[in-house]
Amino acid sequence: MPSSGLRTSLRTRRWLFSLPPIEWLSLRIQETLIGALRQGPIPQHVAFVMDGNRRFARQSHIETTEGHNLGFEALAKILEICYKAGVKVVTIYAFSIENFKRSKYEVDALMDIAKIKLSQLSQHGDLLDRYGAKIRILGHRSLVSQDVLEAMDRAMELTKHNDKAILNVCFPYTSRDEITSAIQSIVALAAPTKAKGQQLETLSEVAVDAPDSMRSNGSQSRSESPSSNATSTSTVVSTSPTSTLAPPREHIDFAGVHHKELLDLEDINEQTITDHLFTADNPPLDLLIRTSGVERLSDFMLWQAHQETDIEFVDCMWPEFDVWHLLPILLGWGLKRKRFLREVRLEEERRYKGSNGLREREADAFAQTNKKSI
Amino acid sequence: MSTRRLVPPPISTARQKEFEDPRARVAFVKKYLPDGPPSPSSSSSSKPPTRSRPVRTFLKLCIYKLLLWILYSLTSLYLRARFVRNFILNRWFSVLYYHHRTPELIQKDVKQLDRLPQHISVILEFEKEGGVEQLIDHVAEISCWCASAGIHTLSVYERTGALKKYISTSHRITAQRLHSYFGRKRPTLRVLAPHLPSYANGDTEGMAGQAVDLEVIFISEEDGRESIVDLTKTLCEMAIRGKMTKEDVTMELVDAELESLTIPEPDLLVLFGPEVKLNGYPPWQIRLTEIFHLVDNDAVGYQVFLRALYSYAKCEMRLGR
Repeated sequence: MPSSGLRTSLRTRRWLFSLPPIEWLSLRIQETLIGALRQGPIPQHVAFVMDGNRRFARQSHIETTEGHNLGFEALAKILEICYKAGVKVVTIYAFSIENFKRSKYEVDALMDIAKIKLSQLSQHGDLLDRYGAKIRILGHRSLVSQDVLEAMDRAMELTKHNDKAILNVCFPYTSRDEITSAIQSIVALAAPTKAKGQQLETLSEVAVDAPDSMRSNGSQSRSESPSSNATSTSTVVSTSPTSTLAPPREHIDFAGVHHKELLDLEDINEQTITDHLFTADNPPLDLLIRTSGVERLSDFMLWQAHQETDIEFVDCMWPEFDVWHLLPILLGWGLKRKRFLREVRLEEERRYKGSNGLREREADAFAQTNKKSI
Repeated sequence: MSTRRLVPPPISTARQKEFEDPRARVAFVKKYLPDGPPSPSSSSSSKPPTRSRPVRTFLKLCIYKLLLWILYSLTSLYLRARFVRNFILNRWFSVLYYHHRTPELIQKDVKQLDRLPQHISVILEFEKEGGVEQLIDHVAEISCWCASAGIHTLSVYERTGALKKYISTSHRITAQRLHSYFGRKRPTLRVLAPHLPSYANGDTEGMAGQAVDLEVIFISEEDGRESIVDLTKTLCEMAIRGKMTKEDVTMELVDAELESLTIPEPDLLVLFGPEVKLNGYPPWQIRLTEIFHLVDNDAVGYQVFLRALYSYAKCEMRLGR
């Protein structure tokens, strides 16, 4: 019976919050709180793992697809709060490469949701346009079917003039895949002549084979189950060393476009890899929030989140995650950052004073030696 | 005839443009609006705001700043209260669950768990007061708990890499501690660190690669990003020599190489700090690792270790026995 109890409590809460005076009041309070928060430090880059849609659906006895839809609604609200509060980049984990292992029905439904919501988000005058945010899709493009790809490109095209904020949607993404592809593009940069020669050799083959294989790839992923899709990609991976044509493992490589010149081996460092990740020109990740109480990173933002990022595990399902969960986290982060900045400042002052004191002492010593000599 | 036919299209396309482009539409409508009322009202409304807005925005800013200050104070009050509560709770736990240096007690605590991690990892902080001695002491204690619970691999992450210089010392101290737990039949132990020879000190007879009861691996910041950078360099070198191409770089290859260079993926990561911050822990390896931390805890203790195991097994902890 606890599940039905949860359901009714949620329903009454929804009902209570949808009453006009209460809704108005809560909106006013939100606005004021956000206005106040803006006066303190605000994370520049926040990442969300939107976990728990399915579990939420199961608990409240609704369909899985409906759970994902509710999850999207929650996302829209959270995005609005983030951009209002002054967050520059929001990264969301929408779909993992591992998620292709789920049932075909659910994967298809997720793809449909993605298509609809992407076009909705990027419409004129809607959320992203209002806050000047541009959409970016990070991930393994070749795993997605053609129509979803088109929707993705259209969304990016529609919002590319916005430059105040960024919404990174990790679509078929895993962090290990991201790091691997970064290494790949660095290797390609370090030894480009070899690749070029091979391309020339196989150019005639490309002209014949590539369109064919690409077409068959696309139709496969559209018509067949996701498991067969996965196997097809794995065969592609295994055959790719022998044939360089039809590069299915290609990503949108932001940095690869910028760095055309040859790479020196000694110049490769952490920054090089950071520059070749999908999040190359984003500010460092300040805050990572994962809902549903699972305390794992699950192959998300591994490289970005393992240094100074604050990781928060929240014990509620994603569709339940709302402003009143997010604002305390932002507040706590701001307080922590403020204390940290104060400490840094104190440390600097101490050092400055110390060096000053040293200088005074030196000056004294110098004066004394002068006196002696006189 | 032909001239009459040719004339209309330009007009219609012009109109179409007027209707489709919003700016043109506004301009089009504006032409027909009475230009009397809007301009004086706009000029009269634009004048007072320039006078009153700075004051109003300044006041608003002040109110927001005050509110933020109040919010911060309330939050820090709340955090302090939570700290006190958790501190007492943690003390209570550490009284309830104490190992008394007897492996049997630890085994009894662990017995009801459905699953145990094969490879557990901990993050330790180098503190100036305690120095390396304290670090080694913690390592020895945690090793004993692992050996008693039946976990075979323990990796210890310490950012600066201070532990790596004391492999033989920590082996000696840990072996002594194991002796005090288990008596004469203590488990065999091997201490190792990436890129350094492993140290077993007679615990393995004959072959160096022989299985031991407990393996302790020291890792530091350089096994994180730096190891990936090194791997990239090696791969680039091979590509330049023509031994491999871009397509040969796969996730499986990188995974295998990094595992042999540093550590395999741990099952459970225990943080002894108050918040989840990875401080440069190897990024590739924490993909599916369960991360455990206790809010407001800042000490290495047996109860933290045990609660991490319980949360890993998704088992409720009953207070008292």
